[in-house]
Parts: sequence; structure tokens; C-alpha cells
Amino acid sequence: MSAAISVNRNTVRAVQRREILMLLGFLAVIWATTAALSPRFLTPANLSDILIQAAPLGFVVIGQMIVIIVRGLDLSVASIMATVAVLSTSLIDSTAAIFAVGLLLGGLIGAVNGYLVAFRHVTPFLATLATMIVLQGIRFGYTGGAPGGSLPETFRWLATGNIVGVPVALIALGIVACAVHWLLERTVFGRRLKLYGDSPEAAYMTGAPTRFLVMMAFVISGVMAAFAGLFLVGYVGIVDNWTGRGYELDSIAAAVIGGAALSGGKGTVPGVLLAALILVSLFNIVVILGLSIELQLVIKGTLIILAAAVYMKRAQT
Amino acid sequence: MNNLIRATRAQPVHLVVFALIAIVFAVGAASSDRFATPLNIGNIQDQMVALAIIALAQTIVILSGGIDLSYAGALSFLCVVFAAIAGDGTGTLMLAMVVVAGLGITIGVINGAITAYVGVHPLITTLGTSTILAGCALLITRQPSGSVPLFFEDLMYERVGIVPYGMTFAVALYLLVGFMLWRTVFGTRIYAIGDNEGAATVSGLPVKQTKVAVYALSGLLCAVVAMYMTGRFGVGDPRAGVGFDLRSITPVIVGGTLLAGGKGGVLGTGLAVVLLAVLANVLNFMNVSSFYQWIVEGLIIIAAVSFFAGKAKS
Repeated sequence: MSAAISVNRNTVRAVQRREILMLLGFLAVIWATTAALSPRFLTPANLSDILIQAAPLGFVVIGQMIVIIVRGLDLSVASIMATVAVLSTSLIDSTAAIFAVGLLLGGLIGAVNGYLVAFRHVTPFLATLATMIVLQGIRFGYTGGAPGGSLPETFRWLATGNIVGVPVALIALGIVACAVHWLLERTVFGRRLKLYGDSPEAAYMTGAPTRFLVMMAFVISGVMAAFAGLFLVGYVGIVDNWTGRGYELDSIAAAVIGGAALSGGKGTVPGVLLAALILVSLFNIVVILGLSIELQLVIKGTLIILAAAVYMKRAQT
Repeated sequence: MNNLIRATRAQPVHLVVFALIAIVFAVGAASSDRFATPLNIGNIQDQMVALAIIALAQTIVILSGGIDLSYAGALSFLCVVFAAIAGDGTGTLMLAMVVVAGLGITIGVINGAITAYVGVHPLITTLGTSTILAGCALLITRQPSGSVPLFFEDLMYERVGIVPYGMTFAVALYLLVGFMLWRTVFGTRIYAIGDNEGAATVSGLPVKQTKVAVYALSGLLCAVVAMYMTGRFGVGDPRAGVGFDLRSITPVIVGGTLLAGGKGGVLGTGLAVVLLAVLANVLNFMNVSSFYQWIVEGLIIIAAVSFFAGKAKS
């Protein structure tokens, strides 16, 4: 029994390693191609730009992946990003307090999503769609359409500055990513999340607090979206009612490309982070090569479908 | 069979939505003299035609256990193409109609084929095609462009009494699709697949072909909406479809169709569209900003799904 489980776990690990190598290979191919086409691509300034731009999406996709692991979906992440940014920056003006209030707010909104899904049996799609729309209304109603938050100087530094050449946003993402990775791969909580995704009944039978697990997944997603929102407004320098627009779909795309299956139970932090980096690189390439900006959409859509199709084919064989 | 009987009968949810419409209407009439006028009743109908038809398409897809998020990109793309071809002549208008209908069906077939034969989750498939089509629409033109013949534009504003032509057309489509769902083999299969795909496969139903047909029908209805909207605008707007992907789902859910598939119907969707349109109109009359209308919309979704989730459990 235990041998079977450990063999199984080793195969899972091997598959995950293969997936990550595949993603790395893909990233290397597109970077090499662009570098060959444009000398501007491999400059330190551009590479650092790509990494900083990938940071907010990285936070969101980690949260999205956790929710997808428990068979959920979080359509409200972009709305959480904007709402957290708008509310917390307009209420207070110290960086630490903005982060504290923002993360708390993100977690609370995630808890509402989680409550609706886990305790009210609302489909995740609809629960998060509804909170998305409600948050939109609250945000616009509160600001009257024109947000007036101001960003402290240290805030800007957090999002755009660097420590010995490494962007601060990236260091923050690295720390959070390691923590979530540890949570997912090395703790009972993480194992139960995956077990629930594989089979909710089995998780229930083992005595796992299934409702709590699902709720926590949404809370984590909310907190991650809050992180992303704060780093994004810091990077852009302006607080906007539409901060993060499109991140709900980008994060779902990155999660799927990174190997998270919508049927639940699958997903790794390194995988989805690489996928986020691939997406952001592709957007950057369109700009660097001077292509029409609308091509980003065409590329993104094609990539989403292709990635999902590839994983489906692999899952069937 | 059970579903078939259930679908043809009016259900409690229909009565609830109908009662809500009556209440909201009464509140509207009480709050403003201008509310219950023929002009305003006509306006409310104008405002719901596009959503009514797109929600009709979504209802069919959701009943089959799928979901179609491609409307945002597909509508934008089809509007642009329609206006680009239609121009000012009757001949070109006909050509535009044929081309756009064909493109709509093609988009649907692609969605259906990727979902049914490759096995990609419909959410991901249609999200992908929507993104691609939104990009294509903007690649063709960044600002509203093209035109439609003037008589076609006029047609979209024409009314018989207080009923716009568009409304009559939408009602006809609802009756047609309702008949198809309740009285044809194709309709029965849609319910069967949505209710239990495994059982449908085992019973030898052509599950994959039916799914492709469902998405094709959804694409065709989307093309019809694109023609209507382009006619109303007079130009092809490359952002015409923005928001229609998620907005198309609300009336379906509020009307009592389960997102999991297999249960519900077009009557509920139609009533829910009316409810949402009348509510938006009344809130406008009461000077409630669209910001707070969003909050109301979100709360309605939560209330509706909580209500049905509770019922499904018992």
C-alpha cells in the first residue's frame, strides 16, 4: 500500500518534471527566436522589464492554480486587484499599512467567494462572477468613477526598484512562491487540496475538512490577487478602477498552460510561473518586433487552446 | 423523458420571475409618469433584443452541459465583417448576411469540434476563440467603420404599435428554439447529454455530433445578433461584443437553468431577460447610477444561484 503510494508519487513527480522541462524548452525557443530577430530583446533593461511585468501575473496565477486544484475557478481576481488597490490606497498613506489592509481585504473577499462555493454550493464560476460584478459596483460607487488614491514613494520603489540588480517585486514573488510551493508539496494541507481535486469523496472519507479546504483556496487566491494589485499599481504609478483588467483570463490561461487541469487535482507553482513568464514574453515580443498590438490577443487565444489540447492528448495516452 | 415533461410545464421559478417583473413594473409606474408610456415600453424592448437572442444561444449550450464564452470576440468580429461587406447596396447586404451567418456557424463548429473531439474544456476553448476573434476584429479596424444600407438601419428602429420589429423577431426565435428543444429528437438529445453525458454515450446517442451542432447553432444565433447590432449602430464596432460573454450567462441562471446542464429552458431565460431589462430601466428612472446597478446585478446572481443550489440539494 505505502509502496504503491510512493511509486505513484514518484511517477507524478516525473510527469511534473517533464512538463516543467517542456515549458522551459518552449520558453528557450521563443527567447532564442526573438533574440535572433531583434537585438533589443536580450538587453538587460528589456529582460528586467519582462520579469517585472511577469510579477503581478505570477501572484495571480499562483492563486488561480490553487483554486483550480480544488476544481474551482476564480473570475473575480482582476476585480479584487482593482478594488484592493483603489480602497487601500485611498484610505491610508503608509506603505506597510496599505499592504496590511490590502492583503486583509483580498483575503476577506476570497473568504466570501469561498463561503458561497463551499457552504452555499454555488458554482465557483457564478459565485466569483457575482462578486466580480458587485466589487465593480462598490469600487465605482465609492470613487464616483475617478479614484483619488495617492502612492507613497516607498510604494513605487517596492514595485519598480531593485536590490543589487534584482527587482524587489521579483524577490517578493519568489518568497511567496516558495511558501506556497512548500504548502502545496510538503504539508498535509497541500496534500489534502490535491486529494480533494482528485476526488472530493475520497478527501471527505479521509476526514479532511473539505469545506474549509475549498474556502482556504479562495482566500489564498484573494490574497494573491491583492498582492498583484498592489504591485501593479506601484509599477504603473496610477490607481485605476480597471487595474488588472484581463488578468482573470490571463491567469486562467497561464494556469492551464502551466499544467493545471480544470478537472482539478493538478498544478505546480514552478509550472504556472513559467507559463506566466511565457505569456508575458510573448506579449513583449509582439511589441519588440513592432507587430500590431492586436496580435497579442490572437497569439494568446491560440496558445490557450493549443496548450489545453496538448495536455488533453497527453492525459489520454 | 422526465426532463421533457418538466421542461414543457411552467415551473415555480417562472412564476417567481414573473411576479418579480410585475413588482418592478409597478414600482416603476409608481415612481415616474414617464415609465409606463408606450415610448418607454418600446425602449425597454429595444434594449433587450440583443441580450435576449444571445442568452437564448447560451441557454442551448448550457442545457447541453457546455458553456460558450466566445460571444465577446465573435460578436465584435462578425459586426466588423458585416459592416465591411454590407456597404450601401441590397446585393452587398445579402452577401454580408450569408457570409456572416456562415462565419458564425464556422466559429461554432470549431468551438464544438475542439470541445467534443479533442476534449478541451468548453470554458478554455471558447475563451481562446473569443480572444483570437477579438484580436481579429481589432486587426481589421481599430475604430467603428463600415456601413449598412439605410433601409436596413431603419428596419431595426421600426415598430408596430409599441412592439419593435426586433422584439417580434426575438420572440419568434424563442418559440422556434423552444419547439426544437421540446418537440424534436435533437432537443431531447441536448437535454439527455446535459443531464448525464456518460449515460447518453452508453445509450448510443451521437454525443459528439450533437455537441458540434449545439455550438454551431449558438454561433449562428450570435451572427444574427451581430447583424441586428450592426443595423442598430449603423457601423461595425470592433468592441461591440465586449461584456456579452459573461452578461449572456446571468439571464440563463436567473431563469432557472442549471449551469451543470440538463435542466431548464428558454421560457425562464426569456422572462429573466425581461426582468433584468425592466429593472435596469426602473433603476435609471430612479437615478441610480450604473455603478450601483452592478451591485444589484451581482446580488441577483447570488440570490438566484443560492436559491437553485438549495433546491437542487433537497
